[in-house]
Amino acid sequence: MLAFAVFGEALTLGLVSGPACMAACGPVLVSPLLAEQTGLRHHLRFLSTFLGARLLGYLLFAAVAWEIGALVSMPLSSRVLVMGAVNVLLAGVLFWYAYSARQICGSSCSSSKLVNIGTAKESRVPGAAVLGFLTGFSLCPPFVAAGVRAAELGSVTQALLFFIFFFVGTSVWFVPFIGISCVARNHAVITVARMTMALIALYYLFLGIAMLMGRKGYGY
Amino acid sequence: MATKACMPRLAPATPRSTFRALLLTLPIAIWSLLMLFHPGTPTDPKSRIAAAMTAVFMTVLFFMMMRTGKTYRWRRYFFVSLGFLFPVGFIYNLILVRGTMGIPIEEMIAGRTPFCFLPIPLLILPAALTKTIIFPGSIAASRYAIAGMMGLWLAITLVLGKGWCAYACFFGGIEEGMAAIPKRARIRKIDPRLRYGPWAVLLATMLLSLALFDSVYCTWLCPFKAVTEYVTARNTLGLIQNGVFILLFAALVVVLPLLTKKRTQCSFLCPFGAFQSIFNKISAFEVKIDRTRCKSCGVCQNACPNLSLSKESIAQGETLLSCMKCGACVDACPHQAAVWHIKGTELAWKPERARLMFLYAAWAMAVMFGGSIIAQGLVTILHFLA
Repeated sequence: MLAFAVFGEALTLGLVSGPACMAACGPVLVSPLLAEQTGLRHHLRFLSTFLGARLLGYLLFAAVAWEIGALVSMPLSSRVLVMGAVNVLLAGVLFWYAYSARQICGSSCSSSKLVNIGTAKESRVPGAAVLGFLTGFSLCPPFVAAGVRAAELGSVTQALLFFIFFFVGTSVWFVPFIGISCVARNHAVITVARMTMALIALYYLFLGIAMLMGRKGYGY
Repeated sequence: MATKACMPRLAPATPRSTFRALLLTLPIAIWSLLMLFHPGTPTDPKSRIAAAMTAVFMTVLFFMMMRTGKTYRWRRYFFVSLGFLFPVGFIYNLILVRGTMGIPIEEMIAGRTPFCFLPIPLLILPAALTKTIIFPGSIAASRYAIAGMMGLWLAITLVLGKGWCAYACFFGGIEEGMAAIPKRARIRKIDPRLRYGPWAVLLATMLLSLALFDSVYCTWLCPFKAVTEYVTARNTLGLIQNGVFILLFAALVVVLPLLTKKRTQCSFLCPFGAFQSIFNKISAFEVKIDRTRCKSCGVCQNACPNLSLSKESIAQGETLLSCMKCGACVDACPHQAAVWHIKGTELAWKPERARLMFLYAAWAMAVMFGGSIIAQGLVTILHFLA
C-alpha cells in the first residue's frame, strides 16, 4: 500500500510538472523533429527514442547521485557546473544535428531512418537518442524536486522506480509533439529547422560557457 | 484570352484630377484632425503645432498617393519619418522619467518596462501554458502598457495582415531610410535561404522564451535596443548584451540596407515579421501578379524591399507570404502586372479600387498609431529648438 502511494506520488509529480518538462525540452525537441521526415510512424519512433534515452539519462544520473549521496544535497555550484556542461554538450549535438540534417528529403523520401549524427559508419547514433540522453541530465526544477523526494526512499531500487514513475507522468506531456508530424516537409521547413537548431545551439553554448565560468546568464 | 477581354481598367499609375484627389483625401483629412486633436491630447502650443504639422503631413501624403496613383514613394516619407522620430520622442521621455536610456533590473521587477509589439509572439506559448505574461511590464498602467499595444496590434493586424510592417512598425523606417540613400545596390545577389531567417529566429525565440520564461529576443537579439532602451550593464554579460544590440543594429539596420537597398533586418532577422506573415492568410488585401500582363522582366523582384518576390512566386502570380503590401512592386512594374487585390474577387476586378480600399484602412491606422508617434517626436524637436 505504501509502495502504491509512493509511486502514485511519483506519477502525479510527473503529471503536474510535465508542462515544465515539455517547456524545458521544447528547444531541443521541436526543431530536430521538424528536421526529420514527415509521417506519424517516423515521429513516434523519434519520440520513443528520445524519451527512452531520456529515461536512461534520468536513471543513470539518479543511480550515480544516490551512490555519492548527492541526490538531495548537491551544492548549487556543482549543479550549475553540471548544467553548464550539459548545455555545452547539447549545443555541440545540436550543431552536429543541424549539419547532419542537410540531406533530409521531403515526404517523397522512402528511407525510414532517423537522422544520425557522427561521421564513421559504425559510430553513428540517432540524434534523438543523444539529445534525449543529455536532457535526462539537465537538472530542470521538476527533476530536482523528484530527486529530493527519491532521496528519502529506503534503497537505490526504490529511488530508481520512483524516477521511472515520475518519467511516465512527464512523458504524457510529450504526446502533443507528435502533432509536428502533420507539418508537411519541404526545403523551406528543413532549412528553418536547421537554422533554428543552430540558433538554439548558439544560445546553449553561450549559456553553458557562462555557467562553467560561474557567471550569471544575465547582465543586469 | 477571356481574361484579357476583361482587362481594361483604371491603371494604377494614372494621375487623377486634383479635384478628385482632394475629394478622396477629405475623409483622411477629417480623420487626421480627429486623431491628432481629440480631447485628451496636450494643449500646450508646441504640442498643438506638432499635431497640426503631423495632420498636414499625413493628409498631403495621402493626397499625393491619390493624385499620382503611386503608393510606395509617399508611404516611405511617412514611414521613414516614423522610424526616425520614434526614438527621438521615446528617448526624450525615458530621460525625463528615468534620467537614462538604460533600464535597470529594479525597473523591470517593478513592471515599468515599456512594451513594444516585437515580443508579442514570444508571449503566446507561456501565456497558453501557464497563464503568465513573461514581460516585465504592466498590463494596463500606461499608454506603453501591454493591453493597449496588444489591442492596437490586433486591430491593425486583422485588417492589414503583414501590412503592419509597412504602415505601423515604428522600427522599420530607419532601415528603409538607410536603404533609400544609395542610388544603386552594391550587393545584388542575396542567398534566398536568408529569407527563412525570421522564421528560424521566431521558432528559436518562442521555444527558448517558453523554456527560460524570459522574452529571449528582447534580452539578446533586438537591434532596436541600441536606439531605444538598452540594458543597464552591471557586469561583463551586460556589456556583451549591449554589444550584440549595437552590432545587430549597425549591421542589419545601417550597413546592409546601404549596401543592398533592402530592409535587411526585416528580411533576415525580425521574428515579429515572420509572425505577421501568418496573418496575411486572413487579411482581405493582397498584391498579385497578373500573369496575362507579366513579361517576367524581374523589375518587381528588384524593387521589393523585403525579398517577397521570387521567380517561382511571380510565375504563380503570387507574392510570397512575407509581402508587407508596401506597393513598391505595383509602382515599379512597367506593365501594370503587379496589382492590388481583394481576396474573393476576380483578379481583373478594379485593382485601383482595391488599392483605394486598402489605403483607406492602412492610412487611417497609420494616422492613428504612427501619427501620434510622429507628433511626439516633433514636440521633442520643437522643445529643443525653442
